[in-house]
Amino acid sequence: MSFFRVNNKCNGCLACVQNCPANALKAADQGEERTLLHNMTLCARCGNCWRICPQKAIEFSHLLDGGWDEVASMKLVRCMICSEPLYTLDFKETVAERVAHNLEPLCPHHRQALSLTAWKHLAPALSEAKGVQK
Amino acid sequence: MIVGKRKPIEDIVNAITGFRKVLILGCGTCVTVCLTGGDREARALARDLANGEYFEGNTPNFHVDTIERQCEWDLVETHLHLPPDTDAILSLACGAGVQTLADVFGQLPVIPALNTTFLGALDEPGVWREKCQGCGDCIVAETGGICPVSRCAKRLFNGPCGGSVEGKCEIKGDVDCAWHLIINRLKALGRMDDYEKIHPPKDWSPERGAGPRKLESAAQPELP
Repeated sequence: MSFFRVNNKCNGCLACVQNCPANALKAADQGEERTLLHNMTLCARCGNCWRICPQKAIEFSHLLDGGWDEVASMKLVRCMICSEPLYTLDFKETVAERVAHNLEPLCPHHRQALSLTAWKHLAPALSEAKGVQK
Repeated sequence: MIVGKRKPIEDIVNAITGFRKVLILGCGTCVTVCLTGGDREARALARDLANGEYFEGNTPNFHVDTIERQCEWDLVETHLHLPPDTDAILSLACGAGVQTLADVFGQLPVIPALNTTFLGALDEPGVWREKCQGCGDCIVAETGGICPVSRCAKRLFNGPCGGSVEGKCEIKGDVDCAWHLIINRLKALGRMDDYEKIHPPKDWSPERGAGPRKLESAAQPELP
């Protein structure tokens, strides 16, 4: 997606190209066509093109507000009890490999709750074994 | 870049007490990068102010926005949309941004939330150090690319002063002696002849001696 948008008032005069201090604009003339090109990586968003354009053709607000580009997408692992998003499957595999242990997909709340439940089951038996009086 | 440091929360609270609707405005360039005045910091400040019990029941209504550069009046005038009934702007920009806002919104009080601190560079993640004082007459070509105006505590042009110990300045142990750095760099460059040159007293008029400075670029297009 391009955040540098030019409306149909643009007449290809190239004032923006000549006045871009970052060389982020250029024109390509081929056959009967003139194409205006913008490089977002070079663009300093200084607004000079917007200032200089005699046609008011540059819609600079798009360069300020922008939008979100999807840059990666991967499988998500959720808490097996409440479905809260935890981490990606790739992240889980990376960590599991490092700690040599398969992680239970549990959110912090349910991880704690589950371990307390386990302790409740274990505690009487342990107390009995140690001879602790209730 | 311009480095700023947020003012203590008590100072900010004192400055905005009494206003009903405050726009907290981040700036998208220098102070975003130095982690003091960008969108994240603006939102964090709004949260702190709204959640803390600073205003004795009269907490202003906060709205948060960030604009790419607060220091360009036409950008601000055209692209910053004030929420209705805003009665003050709390700016997280440098002093240039704060003053631009004050010029554009002449009827609104503009309050700085940062202290503009220095022109610096990133030395390590999260650490910026002063590297330039904008003296208007750069001499680092003769000092191995290291500025004695900003990095020597005494601003010596013919250093070192003799007070440094193992390359550290006598004012503080964690401050490098600029002239120690300069000599090492000149040795590495094979330009110790530059060190032998005696620098005459500096002409400070390009700094602030002639009042506020101005740059008019011949290549700059006329503003609409």
